[in-house]
Amino acid sequence: MIEVRGLTKSYGPHKAVDHISFSVRKGEVVGFLGPNGAGKTTTMRIITGFMPPTSGTASVAGFDVFENPLEVKRRIGYLPETPPLYGEMTVEDYLRFVARLKKVERSRIASLVERAIEKTQLGEVRKRLIQNLSKGYRQRVGISQALVSDPEVLILDEPTVGLDPRQVAEVRTLIAELKGHHTIILSTHILPEVQATCERIIIINRGKIVAEDSLESLGRRVSQSQAASRVFVRVGRASDDLKAQLQKIGGVRAVQLKDADRYEIDTDGSKEVAQAVAGVVVTSGVGLLELREEAFNLEDVFLKLTTSEESQLKEGALT
Amino acid sequence: MNGAFIIASKDLRNIFVSPLFYVVSGICSLIWFLLFSSRLADFIFQSSMQMMQSQGRESGGLPVHFYVIFPHLSMVNLIMIFAVSAFTMRLFTEEKRNRTFDLLLTAPVTSTEIVIGKLIAGVGTAWALLAIGALYPVSLAFFGAMDWGPFASSLLGLALLSAAYVAVGIFASSLTQSAVVAVVLALVFNVMLWFVGVLADRSSDATERTIIEHLNVGEHLQNFMKGNVSLSGVVFMLSLVFLFTFLTRQVVESARWR
Ligand SMILES: Nc1ncnc2c1ncn2[C@@H]1O[C@H](COP(=O)(O)OP(=O)(O)OP(=O)(O)O)[C@@H](O)[C@H]1O
Ligand SMILES: [Mg+2]
Repeated sequence: MIEVRGLTKSYGPHKAVDHISFSVRKGEVVGFLGPNGAGKTTTMRIITGFMPPTSGTASVAGFDVFENPLEVKRRIGYLPETPPLYGEMTVEDYLRFVARLKKVERSRIASLVERAIEKTQLGEVRKRLIQNLSKGYRQRVGISQALVSDPEVLILDEPTVGLDPRQVAEVRTLIAELKGHHTIILSTHILPEVQATCERIIIINRGKIVAEDSLESLGRRVSQSQAASRVFVRVGRASDDLKAQLQKIGGVRAVQLKDADRYEIDTDGSKEVAQAVAGVVVTSGVGLLELREEAFNLEDVFLKLTTSEESQLKEGALT
Repeated sequence: MNGAFIIASKDLRNIFVSPLFYVVSGICSLIWFLLFSSRLADFIFQSSMQMMQSQGRESGGLPVHFYVIFPHLSMVNLIMIFAVSAFTMRLFTEEKRNRTFDLLLTAPVTSTEIVIGKLIAGVGTAWALLAIGALYPVSLAFFGAMDWGPFASSLLGLALLSAAYVAVGIFASSLTQSAVVAVVLALVFNVMLWFVGVLADRSSDATERTIIEHLNVGEHLQNFMKGNVSLSGVVFMLSLVFLFTFLTRQVVESARWR
């Protein structure tokens, strides 16, 4: 459905997006993940035909974004970073305007506006002026306008920004509902968001794709190359001797001393390691105050992939 | 072109629900009313004096068109320059500030459609105001003193010229994000248009003079007001509209490449 090949966007000498390639199948939900300034918005703007790339191509539903911009735009619903709203219009009028602008057939406009209002739960504010709505409601109107033309492709730039936790959950449910019917790309820096909604994630950092995979296999690959879990230990008093002992335990990958009395021990995830750690700490007699084990989550994957010293990870174990 | 009408109807709607239109047209009507009524009173006084002096003798009286309507329409023209700049300043600056420009640029409409849409909305608003200005002379028809020919051709001239002011205003609006800067730019451009006429009077070279005279807005408007609808006048004003609309289109198109 969406094909991106060698996309590059330079602002002067600075490359905001650097030779990115990926493709999205019909009905797929893909999350763009990356820290601030990674190039997520830039990539989305190019796909929507908002601006041209410096080099490379993008196509949507077989239409090249630059050769056939109108065909592409007709098929895309786009929520920019700042929702494009006319304050002096009511929610209903605004959605009707967007539907007409997107060249929706006359006969379908009324029902599509209803559907968009219903899906984003704007029923109670439909007759209100947009300028009088709260930020969260405006964000929902923004999502609503992306949906209103019933586009094949939805491109949502940080769709849950500014929403309260309940709304965030509702938007995620909405995206899950839309899955299959629309092809969706959404960007976010919030990990639970992709965990909750996306089938596949593309992690971008400094304009480059550092990882692209389904959620599970991404997690799995990182665990294989790195650590599968981390054991936190708090002791009465720390000693270098203890650290050396901990490092000797089979299955331990790294030991770090934090805050004078806490150790963080990366392990391969096998059960026995935590037991062995407990044994070592107890026999060393430093006083075991706390011990807990946490599985690695996507947050760690993300941090590992986007902190520069770990970028080699991609070339090494990940791909 | 359908996209142009969709954008135009949105803009017209937003202009007519905003207080700006009513404030500006209220102020304009007040100025016009004051000037028109004092001029009319003056005219009635003068012509009755003349009637008394020419007692018994046959008298044609003073032509109301030249003493009342003509100066009034000149005033309408002057005010339109400012009023049109005020309406058009926000047509692009607001879209840019609200980021709704992103919506237009990612919608399946061309840059030309966007600009034509803005032009239709601006011209519609300007003509609504012009209609208010034209109401004052029309009121004279009740007294049977109306000379419809020159009045109609004056209105045609003003309608065309205000469309040119709109095109200029929209162009100014496309250049900046600030409504204030847009107004100032629009006024500067309009003043420059009118200054071409001053150049004509200054120039010594004969061919140069005739060329510049063809570009003289004031000269063309005078002709319309005298009741002469000339093809060159119509073409001149339409080409102003076309020129500035074309320039605006180029600006909008270049915004896509940034
Ligand atoms: N108009 C512009 N002119 C110059 N540089 C720009 C422009 N737009 C973006 N950039 C730069 O391009 C890079 C990528 O920006 P982009 O907005 O795509 O990041 P992002 O991943 O969306 O970040 P965020 O999470 O903060 O939204 C940044 O370094 C930014 O400074
Ligand atoms: Mg962004």
